[in-house]
Amino acid sequence: MQPVEFVLSPLVAFFVGVFFLGFSRKLTARIQRRYGPPLYQPVIDVVKLFAQRSISHGVLFEVGVVVSLVGSVITVMFIPLGRICPLCSSGGLLVVMYLMLFGPLGLALGAGESANPNASIGVSRKMLLALAYEVPFLLVILSVMCHYGTISLAEIVAQQQAGRWGLLSLPLALSALAAFLILPAMLGIRPFDLVSAPQEIASGPLVEYGGRYLAVIAIQGAFHSFIVIALFVDFFLGGGTNVGTFLLKVLVVFAAGVLINAVLPRVKIEEAIKFCWKWPVALAVVSLALSVVLR
Amino acid sequence: MDRADIVKALRGPGQWGHKYSLWAVYFCTGCGIIEIPPVITSRWDAERFGVLPMATPRQANLFMITGYVSVKTLRAIVRTYEQMSAPKYTVAFGSCPVNGGMYWDSYNTIKRIDKYIPIDGWIAGCMPRPEAIFIAVTKLWHMIDVGAATGWKRYQENYDHYKSNQDQVLGTFQERDEPQGGTVPVGECTPGTGLSG
Repeated sequence: MQPVEFVLSPLVAFFVGVFFLGFSRKLTARIQRRYGPPLYQPVIDVVKLFAQRSISHGVLFEVGVVVSLVGSVITVMFIPLGRICPLCSSGGLLVVMYLMLFGPLGLALGAGESANPNASIGVSRKMLLALAYEVPFLLVILSVMCHYGTISLAEIVAQQQAGRWGLLSLPLALSALAAFLILPAMLGIRPFDLVSAPQEIASGPLVEYGGRYLAVIAIQGAFHSFIVIALFVDFFLGGGTNVGTFLLKVLVVFAAGVLINAVLPRVKIEEAIKFCWKWPVALAVVSLALSVVLR
Repeated sequence: MDRADIVKALRGPGQWGHKYSLWAVYFCTGCGIIEIPPVITSRWDAERFGVLPMATPRQANLFMITGYVSVKTLRAIVRTYEQMSAPKYTVAFGSCPVNGGMYWDSYNTIKRIDKYIPIDGWIAGCMPRPEAIFIAVTKLWHMIDVGAATGWKRYQENYDHYKSNQDQVLGTFQERDEPQGGTVPVGECTPGTGLSG
């Protein structure tokens, strides 16, 4: 653990996350046979949002976005990005599980302050969706922890690099499939983008956010997608021996997510819960049972 | 398009942002709704100019008023405009907001929208082609560059003038679900009256 890693780790996450925002817009445009915006369009958007005058609805409205951003930045430090991992020696997966909730909760707190009915609907959908994907996600984490016999993410990555990737060892392959099925729900992209559905509920929790608050939320969203995909890579794709290979794997998983996002329509909240509690849970339970038995 | 000009972007990052990231709220009051979907989807792809449709006025900085404006929608237009974040640009799309168009002698249609909110650019025609929106956007870039797109400043400086014009039209008109004076005493909210009118 070196002090420089405390700065380096969030910086990597920030730049990769912002690149993802632009990359997903360009890739979606190409799939829809459009030319699309330039790759750096999210940078223009965020710069513009910071330059705008913004309207606040109260103290919690501002605190909410900050809590959400800080939660995401701290979470990144617990996740090994290649060899960079400032806080790997403490906490491990249990801490990551708790810290990942800061993002949605902070946003819910801020959106609640705006007292807009669309925001309330969006927040309730966000919480229900979190309930839907947390159950299979916890089972997946449990089976990963059982299989490798540790709660330390660095240890899990090291064991995969010594032996086989999680994706290729039998009980964990089922978990990997389950995690991939709930990946769109965790990222909040289609078919599970019902939280921020712009056509239905006017972008949900973000409905009253504009200006620099929206910029902070966009940055938090970039961090959040990076965290979710980095966790997937660390669990099942063997992390990375250095930052380069790690980011390459992250990019591949993210591109798969974007492809799903570009072609599927949006589902309703009850369909989302029904889906998440059926196939991913079934796969994760089988995987958990197998990893306990085979151990 | 000097979007990739890094030196210019660093000299005035805010202006760079305002120019190339126009998030639009389309106020489709009438026929203009037909021209907008091809513009924002695959056929004409407005996203390559950085123009994105936004669901809420809080996030938008470009206000497009398409089609005719009736007295009733003027209230919603003013409210939408006032909710947008400050450097904001308005474009009136079609003949009707310009001078009433084919509704020039209607008792219920606003003839000149810029008496009520400031307008930065006009697109004439009935209806204009979708390409006209891109011409308007590039024209708006030029206006932002030379500092001519100052509608939002005019609105702040001459608020009394705009407000009195608005009151002249809207003064006698009262929505059923909106009490006089703006604030709602808690005890007086009766449910179910919103759609009765």
